[in-house]
Amino acid sequence: MTTPNSLRFLVVDDFSTMRRIIKNLLEGLGYQDIVEADDGKTALPMLQSGKFDFVITDWNMPLMPGLELLKAIRADANLKHLPVLMVTAEAQREQIVEAAQAGVSGYVVKPFTADVLQQKLQKILQSRAAAAS
Amino acid sequence: MDTAQRNLERLRPLIVRLTAAVAANDASQLERLLDDLGEARRKDLVSELRRLTLQVRSALETFQFDERFAAFAGKDMPHARQRLAHVMTLTDEAAHQTMGLIEQSGPLVDVLVASHTSPGPELSSAAAQLRRNLSEMLLAQGYQDLTGQIVRSVIKLVGEVEEALSGLTGLTEGTPTQAADAPAFNANGYGPVVPGVEHGSAVGSQHDVDALLSGLGL
Repeated sequence: MTTPNSLRFLVVDDFSTMRRIIKNLLEGLGYQDIVEADDGKTALPMLQSGKFDFVITDWNMPLMPGLELLKAIRADANLKHLPVLMVTAEAQREQIVEAAQAGVSGYVVKPFTADVLQQKLQKILQSRAAAAS
Repeated sequence: MDTAQRNLERLRPLIVRLTAAVAANDASQLERLLDDLGEARRKDLVSELRRLTLQVRSALETFQFDERFAAFAGKDMPHARQRLAHVMTLTDEAAHQTMGLIEQSGPLVDVLVASHTSPGPELSSAAAQLRRNLSEMLLAQGYQDLTGQIVRSVIKLVGEVEEALSGLTGLTEGTPTQAADAPAFNANGYGPVVPGVEHGSAVGSQHDVDALLSGLGL
């Protein structure tokens, strides 16, 4: 059984600055195991071969956008239950609806605050814990 | 006098002779005159085509040899892309440098607090405020991601204009290029909302996102 702080995160964003920000915020919340990927295309094989508990992904990435990564995760029998939090500058209503329909676990619009990120993380983890019990 | 009026004046004697041939019931004269009329019209068409061809060629040559235009396509546009890419590099370096300093500063706050055997409430409160400030400074570096996405979309646009201009210069050399159809929906996303730039149905805040998702049962 993994304790909340032993969760293994994959942070996917093509901007290294944003990956570093999210990594720092997660470390500030007590999480230690954080791995980075610079595109959906590099993230997917990492998810398939490594053991991750949580994905935080950007939408707008050059090779495989976050929405495609989300769909690939939901279509993979081994990954489909993985929580996916989208942290993105994409703010069109149709996009948020599309992400929700594709099975996103949470959606944070950039620029965001540390509180918002923490709230969304907790909300997702709590609903997972409730569903498991 | 316009072209139509000039043509009428020029053809008037021919038409008078045609009418006379009809009145005189002279079929062979009528045939000859109709041939003359056809020939006159053909000459008009050829001369008009020649005039138009010269105009088009002159326009294309002007276009091709316009130095400013050539500089746009050949130098200014690639330079604009390079400048914008450099802006991204500079902001990336500055944001990472700032974050490096922020990451070093957090433990320094801990060292300062630990160096006091009995830190009072004032020091504890100052240390907590410092940590909050550092966290805010860290988040503020997200500007590099947002501005970077906007700059990247402008770099792409400049590249497309450059390609279109190259296509136009190619046209005068007989090598036209095809313009790509603009996609109706950008599957890769639209990038951050820019004030003053059309942003369609974008939400205004995280609150709107939450309301929208809550309406969808999430």
